[in-house]
Amino acid sequence: MLTYALRRLLGMIPTLLLISVVCFAVIQLQPGSFLDQFREDPRVTPESLAAMTRQLGLDQPLWAQYLNWVRGIVTEGDFGYSFANGRPVGSLIWERLGWTVFLAMLTLLVSWVIAVPLGIYTAIHQHRKRATILNFLGYISLATPDFLVALLLIALVLNLGGTNVGGLFSPQFIDAPWSGARVLDLLAHLWIPVVAIGLEGVAGLMRQMRASLLDVLHQDYVRTAHAKGLAARRVLWGHAARNAVNPLISLAGLSLPGLISGTIIASIVLNLPTIGPFLYDALLNKDQFVAMTLLMFSALLLLLGNLLADLALAWADPRVRFD
Amino acid sequence: MHVGRIARCVSLVSLALLGAAHAAPKKMTGLGSLGVVGGKSGGTYTLPLGDSPQSLFYYGVIDNNLGLISQQMFDGLVEFNLATYKIEPALAESWTISPDGKVYTFKLRGGVKWSDGQAFNADDVLFTYRNMIMNPEARAGDPGNFRLGGEAVTIAKVDSMTVRFTLPRPAPAFLLQQRYFIMPQHKLVKFGQESGAKPADINGAWPTNVAETEVVGTGPFKLANYTAGQKVALTRNPNYWKVDAAGTRLPYLDRLEFLIIRDPQAQVAQFLAGNLDQLNISGAQFPDLKQKEVAGAPFKVMRSTALFGSPPFVAYNFDAKNPALAKVFSDVRFRRAMQMAVNRERIIDSVYNGLASLPGHGVAPANKAFYVNTTRQLGEFDLAAAGRALDAMGLSRKNAAGIRLLPGGQPLEIDLTYGTDSAVYPPMATILQSDFAKVGVKVNLKGILSSRLLATGQSGDWEMILHAFGDQPDPELRRPIWQPGGSLYYWHRAPQPARDGDAANTAKMAAWEREIYDIFNKAAVEPSASARKALYTRWQLLFAQNLPVTPIAKPENIGAVSNKYGNYVYNLGVIPGYNPVPLIYQK
Repeated sequence: MLTYALRRLLGMIPTLLLISVVCFAVIQLQPGSFLDQFREDPRVTPESLAAMTRQLGLDQPLWAQYLNWVRGIVTEGDFGYSFANGRPVGSLIWERLGWTVFLAMLTLLVSWVIAVPLGIYTAIHQHRKRATILNFLGYISLATPDFLVALLLIALVLNLGGTNVGGLFSPQFIDAPWSGARVLDLLAHLWIPVVAIGLEGVAGLMRQMRASLLDVLHQDYVRTAHAKGLAARRVLWGHAARNAVNPLISLAGLSLPGLISGTIIASIVLNLPTIGPFLYDALLNKDQFVAMTLLMFSALLLLLGNLLADLALAWADPRVRFD
Repeated sequence: MHVGRIARCVSLVSLALLGAAHAAPKKMTGLGSLGVVGGKSGGTYTLPLGDSPQSLFYYGVIDNNLGLISQQMFDGLVEFNLATYKIEPALAESWTISPDGKVYTFKLRGGVKWSDGQAFNADDVLFTYRNMIMNPEARAGDPGNFRLGGEAVTIAKVDSMTVRFTLPRPAPAFLLQQRYFIMPQHKLVKFGQESGAKPADINGAWPTNVAETEVVGTGPFKLANYTAGQKVALTRNPNYWKVDAAGTRLPYLDRLEFLIIRDPQAQVAQFLAGNLDQLNISGAQFPDLKQKEVAGAPFKVMRSTALFGSPPFVAYNFDAKNPALAKVFSDVRFRRAMQMAVNRERIIDSVYNGLASLPGHGVAPANKAFYVNTTRQLGEFDLAAAGRALDAMGLSRKNAAGIRLLPGGQPLEIDLTYGTDSAVYPPMATILQSDFAKVGVKVNLKGILSSRLLATGQSGDWEMILHAFGDQPDPELRRPIWQPGGSLYYWHRAPQPARDGDAANTAKMAAWEREIYDIFNKAAVEPSASARKALYTRWQLLFAQNLPVTPIAKPENIGAVSNKYGNYVYNLGVIPGYNPVPLIYQK
């Protein structure tokens, strides 16, 4: 298993390099440059534009810009400079990572806690009225974009006279030290993003769980277990559900890159201090090293997520072996 | 080093004594016309910020969000009168201009202290001008204004409280330009070229993770806290140099907070929820908020006809790729005819909800110093007359679809480039399209991102464009836009010099363009205010008659403000030297 993991990790290096070349090329294919936004500003003379082009290294050929960036990462762990912020990309991402990870984990957790039992319920009560209603609701939440749910929730809170309509804190608590009141304020704000972002995941997961459980329930070993007189509850939880969960493990692995790009619009609408809008801006402004770093980070998370899912599968499913 | 520090301390002490002797805070009076009354101290005022500031150093990045914060933390030598837009003393208490218009001597205000208590003096001004404003490597510097006719403006210190600029030639707009924020030398000295730093190093000062105490200014507020991606908090600068009419030290507010909210709709939601105290809104949002106000919501929606703001125009490419179109576009009869097909009233009513008025020609109607009334030259909306005028210029043949034919026989079909991600451009474009069709001119809509409009305009790859440039108090500040051959005069690119900085190609200009070109050159060096006004009057009339671009409307500025606060004056955004916030108080 260890050699397998190592082999996979080493295999990521050429993959990532290839991805980085593609990302860089795609960013360069975008029309315009980072400096375009300043051309209309009366303060910016053609000389200043030329000076900025030189300072940012945009006068160098593209391959040189790319190689410099890669060299910086390999030799110094330096992911380049943000043109817009005049600061190293690494520290900028680091500043925003905390809330991003917290929110992503929380919404993931909530959607799993809701979705898995619902999926099991709808599978074992197939064709009954309640399950059908649940399925129907699932379809609706799957079809409703998360930002729309967010907007609806904001409108609802506003109409009820509430004040927590975005962000993670009320203004006075944003820079306050942690206290009981601050935690309560956070909770009062947190439910909107958790519901808006989490709900979308719920429906997908629920249907996945339902489908794979239905699959498993018709397998021979389940029938055998029933025939041997094992209690229905034991059969369901001990055998069927445990086996049905396998595809979900892969799904969990694949959801890691969603950390960065999954909730851009919802984050903008809900004003959440996460990485998504930061990436969106970087792409719009052609702040190329920020965009590159985030895209690479996203690709790395995807690869790592896959690896972790495979390892988890091997641990959970005795049929999967790597040696 | 030590000797220097001691000398500095001694000089600081003596300066402080001197300052105490003739400390002269500026009294904010005569603003009754804006509804300004005496307020009381205290309170927190919360404003929206469209995105995180990219740095905390104004001259290091070009960033509107940072500009909004900087405006509250720094001042310039001069500033605008909030009501009349006239230039008034700020950090400079007084100034003299030599009779030949070439030497500007600024006497600095005594007793002004930085927010950390250090005294402000001429060294700070020199340091800021040399390392930031006049430094071509500083990202948000303005070195272009300090080279006149190819020669450099020089700056010198006369004494610790006097600074002198010597210009190679007269430049009447020079005073107006000196609203640049002055930065503290004692905090930034290690980024200065005097300490051996490279000219570009200044851009790295005060990144967003700098310690709050490092960011020191003379403005009404000082930095208290920045929470990445969420909030910028400022507190009162106890050393601020302005007082109200009764002598109470400004600002009235204890705290000024900026919530970082990217989405305009989310800003409105936060305003309605009471988390924001003030918001600038668009004409499209006006009816909804006004309705809520009338229904008793605790805020007011205010309209104001301010000078600043960007009036949209439509332009035709005199150098269009299709030579037949280029010929028609450069014919003034065509542009005058098409002006009659521009339904300004309908656009003002339906696009701006009535919250706009007729535009000027390069000068905002609210600009009392320079505007000349050209409303009559805007003409009336009259499709029949437009059709007749097009017939008269030889475009009378039409094809089966009713589209006029160009002399070569092709149909008169124009691509209209406009910004799709804007509340005003798309409806405006469809109104133009439908009215133009009625006079036999086919318009094809070509939407692009609004941020790409200027670059597209300058590339020359367009036929007709909807765009806008901001108004300024003095036409000299908009010279690259309105002077033929200027870098932003993109509807006729032929007269632009082959290389930046060279003289414009006057041979390629039409006679009226040549006259405008000369007017701008003359007005730029004319010391007499009345002679300048006469020159710019002539320019506006030439503009109105020849329509290098066809102005459409001058939108009003609309702000919504919570009833808890008094002395609200509309504030468009980053206009250095225009800052009514110190007067706002919590009732």
